[in-house]
Amino acid sequence: MIIAERRPLPEILANLSPYKKILVLGCRGCVAVCSAGGDREVAILAEAIRLARERQGSPVEVYEEILIRQCDPEYLQPLAEWMSKIEAVVSMACGVGVNLIADLYPSLRVYPGVDTTFYGANVALGEWVEKCRGCGDCIIDQTAGLCPIARCAKNLLNGPCGGSQGGKCEVRKDMPCVWHLIIDRLKERGELERLLEITPPKDWRPAGGDGLRVRKRPDLTLS
Amino acid sequence: MAQGLRIDILCCNYTNLAEREDFYEVPVEIEIKRFPCGGHIEVTDILRALRLGASGVMVCACEKGTCHNGKGNERAEKKVLSARNILQEIGMEPERITFYFVPRLDAESFVEDLKEFYKKLLELKIKERSR
Repeated sequence: MIIAERRPLPEILANLSPYKKILVLGCRGCVAVCSAGGDREVAILAEAIRLARERQGSPVEVYEEILIRQCDPEYLQPLAEWMSKIEAVVSMACGVGVNLIADLYPSLRVYPGVDTTFYGANVALGEWVEKCRGCGDCIIDQTAGLCPIARCAKNLLNGPCGGSQGGKCEVRKDMPCVWHLIIDRLKERGELERLLEITPPKDWRPAGGDGLRVRKRPDLTLS
Repeated sequence: MAQGLRIDILCCNYTNLAEREDFYEVPVEIEIKRFPCGGHIEVTDILRALRLGASGVMVCACEKGTCHNGKGNERAEKKVLSARNILQEIGMEPERITFYFVPRLDAESFVEDLKEFYKKLLELKIKERSR
């Protein structure tokens, strides 16, 4: 899922300072699952804004709404009804939601309530770890399902580097060296010879180096 | 009521049955709000209490190992940490929110906890006045 984290409150409050009627808009997609922008987080942010503004002597009307998703135009339709009632929206969705709102409602002031950070897995209660970089050209079929693009600090395609010590990365001692894990895994499977092939330099265009990435499915497109 | 302070006590229903009259020694306005479990107390409940006029919020839950629902009391403690962080971010004193594990039957220690928190709030008020 897409992982996000609430932005620092002073930044959110600074963006909202000119407005008296605000909508805090949550999303029940990824950001709800990673406890950044779902029902509970919307309620907390709304209450924090009210409290801060009361304290500043500049009270504000804060409304709360949660959408099923903010990354599909049909789920953003309810926002049209809010247009006449509010002056600004804080979207607690990932950057995709904020961008889509900005595209669909150009006159609406929309501000991000979270920083969108990475694609990750929920490995323990309250802990999410990056597992994918969305580079558009998956190589994990060669690396026992473990991604060196997302999980190696140097994005090495042919690792490990000389900084791998005792299974840990030199960049951060609490970080496992993914290449160490890959080698261990391939050794267990008797497939270590896979690594004899040198992986050539990666084409980074599918990772965004070629500009805006678009996916089209002509079989699903209706005119 | 002395000093114009109000303390809201957000408390698990099973934690302690102490009522306002049990706290008569502490010269402060008290609101007691009971929840089905400490784990049911939300960050929003704490912030709302402050917005609606409480000078401080005291969250109380059962002692460790005695929560009917397993870890509701520990969750309550974490929620207090989150709420305190939010206060810090918006420029308020995090000391306005506190957490206590309270024994089930002993109202005396509950009263002592309240006294301690009351003193902290008084100190904050004095600091505020001297600014």
